[in-house]
Amino acid sequence: MIGVSANGLVMRFDGVTAVDDVTFDVAPGEFVTLLGPSGCGKTTLLKMISGFLQPHAGSIRLGDEDITRVPPEARDTALCFQSYALFPHLSVRENLEFGLRQKRLSRDERRRRVEEVASTLELDPQMDKLPNQLSGGQQQRVSLGRALVMRPGVILFDEPLSNLDARLRDQVRILIRRVQRDFGLTAIYVTHDQSEALALSDRIFVMNAGRVEQADTPEALYYRPRTGFVADFIGGANILRGRLTAQTAPGEWAVDTPIGVLTARVDAPRRGAEVHLCWRPETAELAADGLPAQVLHRAFQGHFTDLAVATNGVPYRIQVPRTQAREGDEIRFRIAPEHVVVLEAGP
Amino acid sequence: MIARLRIDQAPILVLLLICTLWLLIPFTMAVLWSLVDPSGTWTPDTLLPPVISLYRWEFMWNNSLLQPALLNSYTLAPTAAVVTLLLAMPTAYALGRYDFPGKETVKLIALLPLVVPTFVTAIFFSSILFQMGLAQYRFFAILLAHAVLFLPFAIRILTVSFEQVRQDHVDAARDLGASPLERFRVAYWPALKPGIMATLLIVFIQSIEEFAIAYIVGTPDFTTVPTLLYSQLGQDFNRSNAAVLALILAVPNVILMLILERFLKSANPALSSGKG
Repeated sequence: MIGVSANGLVMRFDGVTAVDDVTFDVAPGEFVTLLGPSGCGKTTLLKMISGFLQPHAGSIRLGDEDITRVPPEARDTALCFQSYALFPHLSVRENLEFGLRQKRLSRDERRRRVEEVASTLELDPQMDKLPNQLSGGQQQRVSLGRALVMRPGVILFDEPLSNLDARLRDQVRILIRRVQRDFGLTAIYVTHDQSEALALSDRIFVMNAGRVEQADTPEALYYRPRTGFVADFIGGANILRGRLTAQTAPGEWAVDTPIGVLTARVDAPRRGAEVHLCWRPETAELAADGLPAQVLHRAFQGHFTDLAVATNGVPYRIQVPRTQAREGDEIRFRIAPEHVVVLEAGP
Repeated sequence: MIARLRIDQAPILVLLLICTLWLLIPFTMAVLWSLVDPSGTWTPDTLLPPVISLYRWEFMWNNSLLQPALLNSYTLAPTAAVVTLLLAMPTAYALGRYDFPGKETVKLIALLPLVVPTFVTAIFFSSILFQMGLAQYRFFAILLAHAVLFLPFAIRILTVSFEQVRQDHVDAARDLGASPLERFRVAYWPALKPGIMATLLIVFIQSIEEFAIAYIVGTPDFTTVPTLLYSQLGQDFNRSNAAVLALILAVPNVILMLILERFLKSANPALSSGKG
């Protein structure tokens, strides 16, 4: 197990800054996801870690070794490609063995490692087939296996599930996490799918416009987002502008918002300060003495009902377990102060 | 069902018939003419030659320039194929692997020599050779001319081959620690092989059959099979001798074309493996 760290990484393409002064630390054995919309720089960052791109500034360390100028073939990283990139004319066994041959390992050692990985990934019956005789899920497992046999210090994933259908995606997701734990690998995983990131990761780096907006555990990102972008990108969030008016309890302040007065926990309050508030639709509770809202649209989802509502013309969402409210009805709801998060920056 | 099959098959059968006749009649005529024995002339009123023998074949083999012509042609053509391939590689690599402004224009310019008639190229090429004092090295002069002439084919074919090399395969090989040589073997070679074989065969066939340059630059002392064929038809007008030469020229090429066809067919399955 080995950690990865980056310091002040910068990458520009034709004057556009794709990665803008990124610094991070990934602990040995940690599973970190780079999450963000397309064009946020996550793939560029991954390519710099794997060595296919040279940063214009900054450095990358693998353990204690500075690998910024080390070419990909000499790095102790293994990449799982989005396209799988299996060699079409080589059998599954030869594909798995390819990296080990480059390392000039003995035949016995090669066979031992390939067999171990093949049985972990349940590829034994496919060993002599060509990649184009395999299903998408099997090809994906071969691609994972080809990286695993290398026993890399760090395993890198570039949107590995994007070419699989939804059902397979869940299976492979579980497999990837299990294998990462069993093999004790440090993993960096790129995706734009927030549910994938939340389910897999020890920590998520949410990226936007070339920067890491927030690096945190999935729970912290969800419950304590720091910026409007993070709040909005991870799960649905209602984001409101408001002004602190009065302290209601120690550490709790009343905030005047377009939809009424909410109570929020505020760490460093300043009377009259303009703030951005964020709260999750499912934290609202129906209560007779709460804030009023007009139901615009109702969508029953089984374990909850999704209500699109508006107050004073400001639309937002509320999710409640059970309600008889119909379109046009007025409902009343409240949100506990601990669920109302004050953001550092607006959306 | 049967009626529909017939309707579908009828045009195919007609087409097959026409093609067969198209190919078969000239070839049969060539074979028959090459077998005409000088003791009995073949006149238009008889269906088959009156006397058949291998006399013409023996005669051409022993008494004409056929042997040196064959040696020249079959040394020139494979050399031209290899030289053209090597010359085309860097351009094709650049066109197939890199994006740069004006790339499509360069592709078009690379094809331009194809529209100039070979004789025009040949005349001016030979004048350049004479001015440079290289005309006496006839073999190398023709070799160079053939390489220049067939370069557009080679560049076009190999560009497509280089375009088919997948960058993720190259990257994957590199990520797994492969040396440049090993990267070439695993990522480039499988995609390039059909194109390389096709280039070699096409240039080989073109060079074997090429007449204008071989004639203008080569005569009088460097004979290839096509120039020999021309002298039999043009100067002596001996149809039987010409038939022998035509068959010697054409039959190996037909076989090579069939091989080429197989290479081009086998090009795809290896590469089209879904996501692989």
